[in-house]
Amino acid sequence: MTQNAKISLALVFLVILGGITFFSLESGPASSEVAENPELVRADSHMLSTAEDDRVNLVEFLDFECEACLAQFPTMERIREEYAGRINFAIRYFPLPGHSNSENAAKAVEAASKQGAFEEMYVKMYETQGEWGESQDSKADLFVEFARELGLDERQFLNDVNDPKTAERVAKDQADGNALGVQGTPTIFLNGEELPSLPSYEMLSEKIDALLEEK
Amino acid sequence: MSTEPSLAEIGGRGAAADSARFLGRAIGVIIALASLVAFAAAVILMVEKLMLINDPGYVPSCSINPILSCGSIMESDQAEAFGFPNPLLGIVGFGTLAIAGASVALGVKFPRRAWLAIQAAVSFAFLFVCWLIFQSLYRIEALCPYCMVVWVAVFALFTYVTLFNLSSGNIRTPASLKPALEMAVRYHGVILTVGLLAVVLLIAEAFWDYWRTLP
Repeated sequence: MTQNAKISLALVFLVILGGITFFSLESGPASSEVAENPELVRADSHMLSTAEDDRVNLVEFLDFECEACLAQFPTMERIREEYAGRINFAIRYFPLPGHSNSENAAKAVEAASKQGAFEEMYVKMYETQGEWGESQDSKADLFVEFARELGLDERQFLNDVNDPKTAERVAKDQADGNALGVQGTPTIFLNGEELPSLPSYEMLSEKIDALLEEK
Repeated sequence: MSTEPSLAEIGGRGAAADSARFLGRAIGVIIALASLVAFAAAVILMVEKLMLINDPGYVPSCSINPILSCGSIMESDQAEAFGFPNPLLGIVGFGTLAIAGASVALGVKFPRRAWLAIQAAVSFAFLFVCWLIFQSLYRIEALCPYCMVVWVAVFALFTYVTLFNLSSGNIRTPASLKPALEMAVRYHGVILTVGLLAVVLLIAEAFWDYWRTLP
């Protein structure tokens, strides 16, 4: 081997080695916290559908600014409609650090939920994602406008958005997600099992039907 | 000639001359291969872009997770730096370069002016790619796998075309720089490796928080 090739290879190995060392030293979830006893669904988790029994538990970790989540949204709406009242379907916040308004959007939805408008704001966020997603500027004002359009009390909404408890509530969902190994969004769990990325309606309904027919 | 051997002489004059001959023989193949790879990536990107234009809900094949996401890149303003989709530039540019490279590989002798034109083209490509890397890492905050293929190809094109033009005299260098140039030609692979590793390190640093969340 020529010296040229030797040195090049040595450099590559050096960087890989350095990377691995650095990685193992620092590894561990980035976003601040990991829940100690992670739960897929908590008492305060927002449910899009609630069943009388516990046969089917669908949980989606999502980010309102994520395009893949938007792509998944119609499927999840169809599932929600089709299985309303027959399955438990929980939404968990998992704002991703790469998006500028993920956190703002999650807080806006949480604040709306305080006035009983979780569902409406959840739908609104995805319907309007094209208008505000991928922007580098804060869209908090636009979200207040959404609240107004939904007929929410604006002052109350603003209070709730700015309440540190709202941010904590979002962070708590995220900590559960981190602990459960959620890496991106949407991540969907069906009865505790993580589904492959972006499951189709057919795949979801097939699995849910099978679970509903059991016993 | 000084009595102290220059670095290039430690391995013998022959090694430096060998490297220069290697460059002269391989430059056509290198240009053809790198351009073909970049050309293929540009074609794929253009096709994905067209799909996205036809169907705004389309999720490009390379939108794998929040960081590896062509979707957010392709929808950015930077993806149309000159008012038309960047891949168009790549298809024309890399296509032409691939033909030029193949001609050289097949024994066509290009005049100095043609080599300077190729130098201008790859220099422009290199600067443009550096700008795109910066935009991708620090402005859009996502990576697009096909674009990264182009980055690598352009780094290789720029390194080898520049070294070839310098060592073959197409670009004249003062005699005082000759030893440095010989070193550079001998360690052509090291130069390219260092360039690419620098980008790898920038990526690792820019998305460190995200990589850390992976188990």
